Amino acid sequence: MKTYLKTIALLVFTLLSVNCETKLDTEPRQAISTEEALSTSENITRLLIGIYAEAAKGESYGGRIHTISELLANHTDLKWNGTFAEPQEFNIKTISTTNSFVQNFWLNSYDISNQTNIVLDKLDLFEDENIKNRNEGEAKFLRALVYFDLVRFFAKPYENGDNAQEPGVPIITDPVYKLDDVTRPSKKTIGEVYEFVINDLTDAANLLPNYNGIFATKNAALALLARVYLQQGDYERALTSANEVINTNIHSLTNEYFMAFNQNNNSSEDIFAWQYTDQDRGNNHMNDFWAGEAFGGRSGNPDIAITDDFLTIFDEPLNDRRAAFFNTTLTGGKGTFKWELSRNIPFIRIAEMYLITAESNFRLGTAVGATPLWDINEIRKRSNATTLTTVTLEDILAERNRELSFEGHKIHDIKRLKLRVGDLQYNSERLILPIPQREIDVNPNL
Amino acid sequence: MKNLTKLTLLVLSVFLISNSLIGQESEELNISGVVYDENEVPLPGANIIISGTKKGVQTDFDGRYEIPAKKGSVLVFSYLGYTTQRVTIEDTSKINITLQTDISGLDQIVVIGYGSSSKKRVTASISTIRSSDIEDIPSPGLQSVMTSKISGVQITQISGKVESGIKVRIRGISTIGASQEPLYVIDGVPVINDDESINNSPINPLIGLNTSDIESIDFLKDASSAAIYGARGTNGVIIITTKQGKANKTKITFSNSTGWSEATHRKEMLNAEQYVELFTEAALNSGLTTAEIETKFDQLALGKDWRNGNVDTDWQDLALVSGNTRNINLSASGGTEKVKYYFSTSYDKTEGIIRGNELDRYTLRGKVDTDISEKTSAGFNISLSKITIDRLSNDNTFISPLQSIAQSPLTPALLDDGTANVDPLSTLYANFLGQEQTGRFVTDIWRTTLNVYGEHYFLPSFKFRSEIGYDANNQNAERFSGSLTESASINGFGIVNNTITERYILTNYFNYKKKFGENFNFSMTVGGSFEETNRKNQFATGSGFPSDNLQTISSALFTTGGSTKTKYNFLSYFARSKFDIKDTYLFNLSIRQDGSSRFGENSKTGWFPAASGAWIVSNENFLSSSYTLSKLKLRASWGVTGNAGIGNFASRDLYAATSYAQRIAITPSFIGDPNLKWERTTQVDFGLDFGLFNNTISGEFDYYEKETNDLLVNEPIPGTSGFSTVTRNVGSLSNKGIEFSLKARIITKPSFIWNTSTIFSMNKNEITDLPNGDIIDGVNIIRKGESISSFYLYEYAGVDSSNGDALFYTNTVNSNGSLDRTTTNDVANASKIIKGNPFPNYQVGFTNSMKVKDFDFQFTFQGEFGASIYNQAGRFQSGNARFFDNQTVDQLDRWQNPGDITQVPQARLEQNNGQEASTRYLQEADFIRLRNITLGYTINPEFTKRFFVQKARFYFSGLNLLTFTDYEGYDPESTADFNGNSGVRTGIANYSAPPAKTYTLGINIEF
Repeated sequence: MKTYLKTIALLVFTLLSVNCETKLDTEPRQAISTEEALSTSENITRLLIGIYAEAAKGESYGGRIHTISELLANHTDLKWNGTFAEPQEFNIKTISTTNSFVQNFWLNSYDISNQTNIVLDKLDLFEDENIKNRNEGEAKFLRALVYFDLVRFFAKPYENGDNAQEPGVPIITDPVYKLDDVTRPSKKTIGEVYEFVINDLTDAANLLPNYNGIFATKNAALALLARVYLQQGDYERALTSANEVINTNIHSLTNEYFMAFNQNNNSSEDIFAWQYTDQDRGNNHMNDFWAGEAFGGRSGNPDIAITDDFLTIFDEPLNDRRAAFFNTTLTGGKGTFKWELSRNIPFIRIAEMYLITAESNFRLGTAVGATPLWDINEIRKRSNATTLTTVTLEDILAERNRELSFEGHKIHDIKRLKLRVGDLQYNSERLILPIPQREIDVNPNL
Repeated sequence: MKNLTKLTLLVLSVFLISNSLIGQESEELNISGVVYDENEVPLPGANIIISGTKKGVQTDFDGRYEIPAKKGSVLVFSYLGYTTQRVTIEDTSKINITLQTDISGLDQIVVIGYGSSSKKRVTASISTIRSSDIEDIPSPGLQSVMTSKISGVQITQISGKVESGIKVRIRGISTIGASQEPLYVIDGVPVINDDESINNSPINPLIGLNTSDIESIDFLKDASSAAIYGARGTNGVIIITTKQGKANKTKITFSNSTGWSEATHRKEMLNAEQYVELFTEAALNSGLTTAEIETKFDQLALGKDWRNGNVDTDWQDLALVSGNTRNINLSASGGTEKVKYYFSTSYDKTEGIIRGNELDRYTLRGKVDTDISEKTSAGFNISLSKITIDRLSNDNTFISPLQSIAQSPLTPALLDDGTANVDPLSTLYANFLGQEQTGRFVTDIWRTTLNVYGEHYFLPSFKFRSEIGYDANNQNAERFSGSLTESASINGFGIVNNTITERYILTNYFNYKKKFGENFNFSMTVGGSFEETNRKNQFATGSGFPSDNLQTISSALFTTGGSTKTKYNFLSYFARSKFDIKDTYLFNLSIRQDGSSRFGENSKTGWFPAASGAWIVSNENFLSSSYTLSKLKLRASWGVTGNAGIGNFASRDLYAATSYAQRIAITPSFIGDPNLKWERTTQVDFGLDFGLFNNTISGEFDYYEKETNDLLVNEPIPGTSGFSTVTRNVGSLSNKGIEFSLKARIITKPSFIWNTSTIFSMNKNEITDLPNGDIIDGVNIIRKGESISSFYLYEYAGVDSSNGDALFYTNTVNSNGSLDRTTTNDVANASKIIKGNPFPNYQVGFTNSMKVKDFDFQFTFQGEFGASIYNQAGRFQSGNARFFDNQTVDQLDRWQNPGDITQVPQARLEQNNGQEASTRYLQEADFIRLRNITLGYTINPEFTKRFFVQKARFYFSGLNLLTFTDYEGYDPESTADFNGNSGVRTGIANYSAPPAKTYTLGINIEF
């Protein structure tokens, strides 16, 4: 009898101890569900801030997009010292479809696109109209930003609408929340992508305030729009947009060239800059490849060193502060001082707007805002170069090169100005990034 | 009561004796003697019976026995696990017997999960390593104990680092995206097997296990045995059982050993003179002037006169040092009929063969089993260990010591004052000696494994057992890089990382065992278990340290930190029934239901059934007396197992925290498939066990087919969705193979024993279905119809003898389907092809053990055939001087003049000429290795017993002493440690350290 009782007691114990069905529902501690994440307007704004973090990653605007541009455009100005295979492929213009830099650039861009789509889809959660507009404007700015770079890198150069019907890149506007939302899109035309970018930026410029802390402002949208129009060769609109930015007088050139770089807070000339702090160390990939050891980079020569060929662009190498903005202790090429570890990466500086208005005014034969000569001399004065008395288009483009070198403009300037990279024509297929193999593999519509 | 028993026994024996007296017909002798095991150690408890009667005795504590028997009758000496011997009584009354271990193992106990069985009754494919197989071999780790002993099991130490992780692959690879590691169950606890290394170079998960504590290791290879572990059985189950005390047999053992080690192999690199010659030529070929390249040499040499041989650094010689091992082990075991105990403690110190790599280990184990009453028993088992490892960076970092072979021989390693040369122009890469001098990287591991059980017999045939298991793995890593490291520019960088993983498991089961009638045995096990694993991690990093001597994060100017935690659990029910008819027809059925938090909302639980049967043909009348075919058993099994080795929340759509410019933010982190479930592997196995000539030769043969469906794959999805992969169940793969093992007792004289065993296994892996096409990861590819992780590379075609260009086969597909075999010097015009794969097709092992008088001798050869290794560092170290990296000497065989026929293209500094990822850097890695060899001498026990020493043995042992291979890399077994946790990236070497070749001298003493 006693045994019998014991048996029952043990059986009950057994059943109790193993009857823990509910315990199978464990919740993650480092993540939250979609429902929880997207339920409040505060969280939508947090998602939006997260998009900046995404864009500022090394894979994208934290370094690689600029680096790809500069290496693709390189003939003899730069010397690749590094051992990574991927950048080397850009340098020799033989880019495999499995190049991980290209793949991550692509993936990160569409990740940003999707997140902006989520923000835009959830705007109804905002009750305050101003906050809603600001969020919508920022999301559209960021979305336009990535599509502009996607179409510039992954499609043929924009040529006055002559090739507007040729394939560009897919445009995604529907948010993906769950697996069922995933689509297999086909490419939109180059013309459609540019139109999409311009629409987003126009909306953004209308929605965004003049002042918005470190985030995208009305001027940031207009400045990017100026860049887009310039790329299209639409000098009138480029001029209008750039001039509108200048006329707000919110931004001004820093007193010294070096003050425009390596800041932890935006400088007076930053229209938009990617923010880095010591907290985000390691995200600044410009530093990885462009800085020597003295600038917190890897030991030895910088992976990308600047050659003497490049330095010939300086007409006044002794006076021009920009000609001395290099780490000269190294041989086998110099390192630029532009990219210090855990400092901001300026993305659009007011100097660029002056250069756009100068070029556009010159080409149009106008003097909207100021004469090209005035604009160019403003920029030269700041760097202690003597002022010019007359300017030609070549002078303007050379000044642009001196001022904006290594900031990611090079390949796009070559393409819009129909120049060459060594033996390669501006429209060579070898200067276009291939759609990543992984994307072609999973999407037969590409 | 007790007296009554005694009285009964007395009466009974009197009756028996008188009975035998009455029946006396011929002369009765009083036979006596001692029964020994093959080590001349007396065997207490051996059975001696007179054949054909029920008369018998057992040997006493000293192995002595005494039995009256008639002349002409036959004495049968038997002991579990030993071959039975029969002796016909003639005139002598003293008979000493040495029993041999039964190498067929058919009478031995096999642990099968929630119980045990005699090998004879097992219907599944289970292989066992016993302490007797391994105790004479000093073993730095479990892997060297297991390697090449068990057919169908590939055991590889990832690299020659002392803490290096091991890969154990049972019957091939059955998964792509989930864990490939088997389930380890130590004394009933499925132990934590997570890699907590902070530098991506895995640490051996069983590093805290003292191999001297191991009684047996059972490998559950087929599905019918592993299915009792359900959702985690697919990769096989390794059950480790630790030693237990034996009643009335107090045993104290002490062992001590010292060893010396060195790398199995070194690469031949250029010396300074050759370096200058090759790179001068390479520079001139690339249009540089002699003056320019000499300026570079001057920089590298840091002012030393390289022209006169003033500097010639052998970096490899700095990185690979001679190692040292020391081991002390002490154990005590024994007990009474009611209480048995086992205690052990050990200390190990291993100085690795790579500079700066060291390991200290302390272990302690205590085990007590006690009978509380006649029906109830209980016990516990605690194991504690502490390990301190001086670690190194992983193989993919410049400061990994072996990456220093990339440095130029012109570069002085040290400055004149002895500090590391970190001059940025003189060193091509950060000098690892700078890390050694101003940095450190130490990992401490505390491991506690505990098991408490209680068992109660309600009836002699009905038992309940309850077990609580606990495993805690606490790892603390501290790393600092100071003023002579890459972190110098930020004034030093430090990281501290602490991870605690705890698992508890509660298991309860009933066991019913009954014999019905003469011929029918039945047993049944039914139970359940609940298991929960919690992991907590805290870390901090800092930069800006005022001094190299202030290394803790508190001294840092900037700090960041974080913490994470997670948990997962399993709820499982299982049942197994075994029955046999006449001990000849055996059947086994089992089923398990597993539920896990890891899986999707729609498929939280799964069922894992298995069935197997065996026919012991040799028990049939027509064979029972056969001497030639003394054992024959046919086996067949079928079963389903699962693999649950994926992320804890892979089925969910999740958002995680992030930040931008010190503002809080969130970001989508995962997209999940709510239908996610475990991989299902269905395996069939046909086996044959046989013994010939009274089991002088015995063997096992198995054929298996494993089909894995619903593969857990991180499937690529269109990146345009904002996500790149989702963990899903797609695709299938199969493994088919044969396993064969053969053991033979060649000589069995008491003064000369010679046993030999051979194993052979073959496995063929094939991806049978992959609906969404190829998965390419680096140089590895997963493609339908091919073996998993095959290499996918351009095919190197040698050198154009007219101009020195590297050539590749275009391998584009012609219209008729054949491959275009024309060559090109531009890979842009070539297509990649599949060439080789990282897994061996065949594995062999050959072990011999001999005992001649007081000497014992043992050796094991291991062979693996059919695998290839891709040298990821090849483009740098064997890249005809494209980069300034030092080159392997074979690069001197470069193309120089038109007409030269060679495989090494023209040297062109900083110009691409054949360094693409091609078959140029792929090599077959077949090898045969003398895995271990041991020579021991035992002092005559008759002599040592005077000093209360039962046994004193001295030995010499060698590990990896000989390797026969055509592979030119460091070692055919060592691959990149930073890919250690990747399922797809396999078979890649990247400055990967070779294993150690170790010579050990030691002594074992038993009291």
